[in-house]
Amino acid sequence: MSALLEAREVTKSFSGIEALSKVTLEVGAGERVGLIGPNGAGKTTFFNCLLGVINSDGGSVQLGGTDISSWPVHRRAHQGIGRTFQRIELFSDTSVREHLLIAERIRRGTGSFFRDMIGLGRAHRDEIEACDRVLDLLGLADRGDDPIESLSLGEGRLVEVGRALMTDPQLLLLDEPSSGLDRQETALLARTLRTVQEQRGFAILLVEHDVELVAGFTERTYVLDFGRLIASGSTADVLADPVVRHAYLGDMEVPT
Amino acid sequence: MILASVAQDILRAVLQGMPPGTVYALIALGFVLTYKTSGVFNLAFGAQAYISAAMYFQARNEWEWGALPAFVLAVLLVAPALGLLLERLIFRHLRTASAISKLVVTIGLSVALPNLFELVIGFEPVAGRTPEGLVPNGNGPPFYDPFGVYGWSRNELTQMAVALLAIAILGAIFRFTALGLAMRAVVESPRMTELAGVRADRVSAFAWALSSLFAGLAGVLIAPRFNTLEDIAFFELMVIGIAAAAIGLLVSMPRAMLGGLAIGIVIALSNTFLPRWADGRDWLQPLVDNFTLALPFLVLFGILVFSPRIRASTEAADPLAGVDPPPPQSAALTRSSVLTLATRVFALLVLAVGGWWVFTQADTSWIFLVTQGVIMSVIFLSITVMTGMAGQISLCQGTFAAIGAFSVYQLAERWEVSVLAGALIGAAIAAVVGSLLSLPVRRLGGVWLAVATLAFAFFFDAVMVRQTWVGAASLLQGTRVPRPTLGPLDFASDKTFLVLCIVVLIITSVVVIQLREGTIGRTLRALRGSELAAQSIGINPARARLIAFATSAFIAGLGGALLAVQQKNVNYDQNFAPLAAMFWLVLVVSLSARTVEGAIFAGASFSLFERSILRNIFGLSGKWRFVLFGLTSIQYARHPEGLLEYGKRRSTAKMQARIDRLGSGGDQDLDDGTDRSAREVSS
Repeated sequence: MSALLEAREVTKSFSGIEALSKVTLEVGAGERVGLIGPNGAGKTTFFNCLLGVINSDGGSVQLGGTDISSWPVHRRAHQGIGRTFQRIELFSDTSVREHLLIAERIRRGTGSFFRDMIGLGRAHRDEIEACDRVLDLLGLADRGDDPIESLSLGEGRLVEVGRALMTDPQLLLLDEPSSGLDRQETALLARTLRTVQEQRGFAILLVEHDVELVAGFTERTYVLDFGRLIASGSTADVLADPVVRHAYLGDMEVPT
Repeated sequence: MILASVAQDILRAVLQGMPPGTVYALIALGFVLTYKTSGVFNLAFGAQAYISAAMYFQARNEWEWGALPAFVLAVLLVAPALGLLLERLIFRHLRTASAISKLVVTIGLSVALPNLFELVIGFEPVAGRTPEGLVPNGNGPPFYDPFGVYGWSRNELTQMAVALLAIAILGAIFRFTALGLAMRAVVESPRMTELAGVRADRVSAFAWALSSLFAGLAGVLIAPRFNTLEDIAFFELMVIGIAAAAIGLLVSMPRAMLGGLAIGIVIALSNTFLPRWADGRDWLQPLVDNFTLALPFLVLFGILVFSPRIRASTEAADPLAGVDPPPPQSAALTRSSVLTLATRVFALLVLAVGGWWVFTQADTSWIFLVTQGVIMSVIFLSITVMTGMAGQISLCQGTFAAIGAFSVYQLAERWEVSVLAGALIGAAIAAVVGSLLSLPVRRLGGVWLAVATLAFAFFFDAVMVRQTWVGAASLLQGTRVPRPTLGPLDFASDKTFLVLCIVVLIITSVVVIQLREGTIGRTLRALRGSELAAQSIGINPARARLIAFATSAFIAGLGGALLAVQQKNVNYDQNFAPLAAMFWLVLVVSLSARTVEGAIFAGASFSLFERSILRNIFGLSGKWRFVLFGLTSIQYARHPEGLLEYGKRRSTAKMQARIDRLGSGGDQDLDDGTDRSAREVSS
């Protein structure tokens, strides 16, 4: 059986400097995979290549057996890639529930100009219920009507997760979800993510700085350094690998 | 022999193009200066140039001053003072505002400043009255002929000498002084520069004074070339300057300067060679005649669309901008159902009394104004869609409206299509043009989109309007448009036509509200909030923009067609020229671009404000409305929801407090949900 996401020899250079050099990575259905590496290792570039924010120079990206290498971002989203952002990206002037409602409407693909014109464009009851179920799952049940500006960073990140969930992703890409959060908030986020993931069964690719989060959350981990994959395997093995420790962790204690 | 004569022609064109080219270079430089040092894309630059030129004229011709004192007053005193004032009073406080709100402020200023100046000084643009150049007998016979092919007049020589001197001084300041270095640093982040011990506000003030001086200098130097001293001429001049600056990607001063020279020379070259090339090819004639005029706008549009570096150079945002507190939440708007009901009853009463008065009491001229107000409201709803919903500043709404108007004229005049069908077809044509326009500009956002649409508006203004199949006949025989009939209804009567317009307005309003509450509105809101995030949930930005452009253009086209039908003539210059359309934007944005009632209030203000309030109550000139609304739009940076919404929120809060007190505080905890939904419907 082939993996859900297969990135083969993805290569990208910026004005002659190779940011990614033949990076190959797989994520199986329902799997939790980590991607770590020091600053400038090419994590973000690789992430953007997966998402279609930038186009890779070489290699291929397949999702569920379909080659999506040259697809634009929104088409990949329809194919089943959801994401969150390192610096949260929310829609200003919009309530929490609206964030999920728009994603739900786009997933259903039932919106059209003419339906809007005859008043069928407003949120339907079943759409609202679907959103409220997800809000409930994320522990935001009573925040649905709140303006997005009134949320804390941690809550905002949960809204991003909820928004991505509404697209019914097969694979959720999390871009440094712990950045800006304190330990408790990070732990809460990890717990919530885990619950949701076990219920929905999607796969997660986690790009993260917080080794503790990666160690506790992922089954397998890839390590990037200077645009090359320097290690991969089960998370515990990888974090114990002396090469990885040298490149990334220095002399830091690895929590297990 | 032939080669030699061609070489001579080229040389002649180069020499001919140099004087205007140096003035374009001045404009481009002054423009880049403020853009670089304060991040303001200053569309009021043309107005600043106009003010100095008009000041110079006033001093020379009305007060009969000599050339030197007039020059000192207009260029060395008035211009820098104006720049200082603008910086001190407005732009200093907007340092961390988004680029788009700064742009809106400059658009407002470009409408307000010329009119304010004319009112204060008592200057009136009159055709054929332009100042003399700096030197006596400037436009006289060729004075200096270096190669024996083209002789520069004394004016042209002065233009070049003064411009080059100014450019040299600017270069020296940038290269050799600490101030120059500071100016370069300030643009990155005023607050960070301040942390490094530089008085950012002083640097920025100096840059504004300098830039304004360049505007004034260019204005005074170029004025003798114009037939009429009026703001539109200088606005167009500024757009040419922006095209030159775009050649330097809006940041490089040397390249902006060379760009200005190049545009001047290429215009002269195409003036020389195009007519020869098109000689004997009749069908090319109309295009060739206007190509030169369109050239700068084509260059500007092309650079914006094709240069990835401009697209990538997203607005120079202050890295510390995010530390400002967020704008007041719209939750502050929440009001009780009692108050909502009261407002609606009051609105209905006003409408009923107004309707009764218009249909039974008002004379023809008032009915005309009311009808115009209703039609303008329709047009302004196109701005509600484009700016309020999609968050884009488009400066070619007048062009879309003109397309509707010209279509209805052409269809009725040539093919005898029924006028109502013609209006709908015209709106559809406008929608097609809007969709096509949205394709090349789909990657542009914010300021760049505004400038690209401005270039398109000027292109249409310079080239398309003169084509016989668009509106050429208007210059010769007028663009007459008949009134429609529908079965037994003859809309030749002004009152019946008013009813028709009201029906159109109601339908359009309902459609806009439905779109806003529906998928399209929510999609556009998501895109406005974060394009990246919107894409990540599967929204196709290009498609959403196309729908917004098409809808907005359709509505504008429909309104434009109605306006032509009402006036029984297209009246392009008066109704739809690029500057007129800028005033529309200013008006809608200063009232409220987000709501339908904002557009309707704007429509009413557009046609009724001047006569009912300015003239009848205060006895003031109609120019004051440009000044008032232009200056009001400045608050867009603080309150993007507009004056109407802001005022409503303030007064609602006050009223609500009073009601709450009366109600012994018992109903303070009204259910939030119902209130909010009621509010959304009410707008």
